[in-house]
Amino acid sequence: MPGTIRSVSLTWVVLLVCLSSRRTSVGAAPICTNGQVGCHVLSLDNLFDRVIQHSARMHSISSDLHSEFEQYFLPSKNQIGRVGRICHTSTIITPNGKENAQRMAREQLTEVILKLLIAWRDPLWHFHQSMAHHHDFNNFSSNKALEMNDMVHELRQGVEKVAEKMQVLGIISNSVTSLASPEVLLPSDSADWRLMKDYDLLYCFRRDSNKVQNYLKILKCRIVPDHGC
Amino acid sequence: MAFSSYSSNLLLILLISSLGWLSSPGSAFLTDRERLTSSAIVQPYITECISSNQETFRCWWSQGDFHNLSSPGALKIFYHKKAFGTHWKECPEYIYPNRECFFDRNHTSIWTLYCVQLRSQNNITYFNECFNVENIVRPDPPISLNWTLLNVSPSGLSYDVMVNWDSPPSADIKTGWMRIEYEIQYREKNSTEWEALEMQPHTKQTIFGLHIGKEYQVHIRCRMLAFIRFGEFSDSIFIQVTEISIKDSTFPLTLVLVFGVVGVLILIMLIVVSQQHRFMMILLPPVPAPKIKGIDPELLKKGKLDELNFILSGGGMGGLPTYAQDFYQDEPWVEFIEVDAEDADTGEKEENQGSDTQKLLGLCHPASHHMNTGCSNAVSFPDDDSGRASCYDPDLPEQDPLMLIATLLSSQTEDVETSFNVVERAPAPERGERPLVQTQTGGPQTWVNTDFYAQVSNVMPSGGVVLSPGQQLRIQESTSATEEETQKKGKSSENTEDKRQKELQLQMLMVDPEGSGYTTESIARQISTPPALPMPGEGYQTIQPQPVETKPAAMAEDNQSPYILPDSSQSQFFAPVADYTVVQEVDSQHSLLLKPPARQSPPPCMPQHPLKALPAMPMGYITPDLLGNLAP
Repeated sequence: MPGTIRSVSLTWVVLLVCLSSRRTSVGAAPICTNGQVGCHVLSLDNLFDRVIQHSARMHSISSDLHSEFEQYFLPSKNQIGRVGRICHTSTIITPNGKENAQRMAREQLTEVILKLLIAWRDPLWHFHQSMAHHHDFNNFSSNKALEMNDMVHELRQGVEKVAEKMQVLGIISNSVTSLASPEVLLPSDSADWRLMKDYDLLYCFRRDSNKVQNYLKILKCRIVPDHGC
Repeated sequence: MAFSSYSSNLLLILLISSLGWLSSPGSAFLTDRERLTSSAIVQPYITECISSNQETFRCWWSQGDFHNLSSPGALKIFYHKKAFGTHWKECPEYIYPNRECFFDRNHTSIWTLYCVQLRSQNNITYFNECFNVENIVRPDPPISLNWTLLNVSPSGLSYDVMVNWDSPPSADIKTGWMRIEYEIQYREKNSTEWEALEMQPHTKQTIFGLHIGKEYQVHIRCRMLAFIRFGEFSDSIFIQVTEISIKDSTFPLTLVLVFGVVGVLILIMLIVVSQQHRFMMILLPPVPAPKIKGIDPELLKKGKLDELNFILSGGGMGGLPTYAQDFYQDEPWVEFIEVDAEDADTGEKEENQGSDTQKLLGLCHPASHHMNTGCSNAVSFPDDDSGRASCYDPDLPEQDPLMLIATLLSSQTEDVETSFNVVERAPAPERGERPLVQTQTGGPQTWVNTDFYAQVSNVMPSGGVVLSPGQQLRIQESTSATEEETQKKGKSSENTEDKRQKELQLQMLMVDPEGSGYTTESIARQISTPPALPMPGEGYQTIQPQPVETKPAAMAEDNQSPYILPDSSQSQFFAPVADYTVVQEVDSQHSLLLKPPARQSPPPCMPQHPLKALPAMPMGYITPDLLGNLAP
């Protein structure tokens, strides 16, 4: 009798875990490739919604981590030192205003997004590693770092899918080079991020995740404006 | 271990925050810390920089305690963008009345680090702050807040409301530049605490569970998605729903229906429970058991025939009491078998009731008015079912012959004697052709005390039944011989082969010589049998036993006369044997030796066998327990 109870409770726990994990990982839903039988093909706006929601979550996590860091470590009294912070992604030309973003072509915007996402793949991984080794932070922070890392990865895959779909639908031309060779997009002096402190890294990532979120939203409302814009 | 590290972190945070207040008074607004209230002179500071649309932003300053710097232009704001560079630019647009510096679109870059400084004219930097524009966005409050009533609960005490609003016009949601989520807060008018609903990005939301009659205050604010800074609250609206008449609410109707049905069900249950026995009677009618009114049911059990006969024969309390004893009082379904009692108090129905044998033989009392119907069988049986066969229907007088036989057979004990007396008493017919057998006037006993059983010798074509007499014929002494008046055509008369007494003036009993079972020789000679003689209405009658010493020859001469006048003086038994007799013994040749009819006085049953005191049982009837006393 206790064995059956245990097994039943185990199954329930597994079910609950699966459900909760499904809820948290929005972008983990499989997107059908062409020709897959029985697979529900998502529409473009649905794809966009998923990607945008994912990027919003990513940004939210980065903000939390950043504010946690601000609590642990005093911002330096020297505000000038704060000014000296440069993100390694600064070399990527990104529109920094609404008009600029709207003026930018779709392909360019998509490429910018992908560049950003690709640029953050390695730094976040190392950040997570450093956080795991340093026991200064509680487990929640390290979990968030890991989650951030995963989300960047998933978001990148999602955006690539969206770009594919857009190319299939003829919305954008095939000039998006990011899909071909991601390594081309990496900035030449990409090694700078290793010199950044964790706090600055978080600051930069928070900024860039907001950029991605914004660009995606602009892209969506430009391409499929009727759904939820 | 995690908890300990967490607590240590908390302590660290507390330390840091406390230190932070002391160290950097100028960096307060970005991190939303409280301003330190100390005795130190408050320096000029920038209050806040806010962007409402993520395209422009404003900064406000204050001179603090330095009132000499309150004049416009005394304090200036300088800013620069980007990480590097010391090229500070001055505020592009001053709005001095508000002490505000406005950065328009051309001077606003998102995702760019801005640092603003508050300087005096002497280039004394009082304040310094750096930020990104996207982090200082506080959207404007939503506009056009209104509400509609969704529904009212069935009880009429609470209701739901749908609140609608529009997004702030300054926020560019359409292009996706800003993603806003809203938060509604409401409270009762006199309450101090607001209740906040969950944030959601749509421009409408339902508030559930508001109470009728109370007034509510609702306002709303919004913020950028995934950011932490809320905008200002909108103007409040007031919601109040007073008592509304339930026009077509079905709630009370259903309540009434439910309660009504439940009440009816309870009532039905109560009725069923209280009248349980009646329902049981209707559903499962009791099987009538033999119960005689006025007789203890214990006597009806086996082995108590003596007492029963005693009672029935009139002993004890002088016959059956007219009143029913309380033996079956509490059994309402008990229906009693009416036993004709020798009672003066009996009602009409007993007067009308002749013996079954009489009716069977057709000797009925003359009905005064009806002559030709003879002795119909419309017997005035008592109305209650006194144990007669169920097939009898007293309303149908035409089924006479069989019914009479049935009644004859089913009546348990019938004291024919008494019944004759009863019959004698000027019966008035209840119904029309009431066959009332009137034998004699006056005399107490006129009739033969017939037995239970009489053998049906033949059935006449006319429908009459010819009975042969039982074994024992008790001839009643009759003082007056009255003419028998039987006008009715009834059953066929039954006859015996016996003679009659003159006084009796009994009519001829018809005999079918072929039908009679057996007869002695003496009987045969005495039979005067004109078969045509049976007059209608002749019934059974007693036979005066022929004196033995009468010569057979003399008798034979009288054979032709239709009337055999019996000797007046003697009452003798008729010698020949009756149809029923007792099997005396079985001889060696397996033939039955019948006992000739014995004298009157002793019962003919087994005179040669010493018997124990036999009860006064009906003639010719042997109970099974007496059977054992018979000789083998």
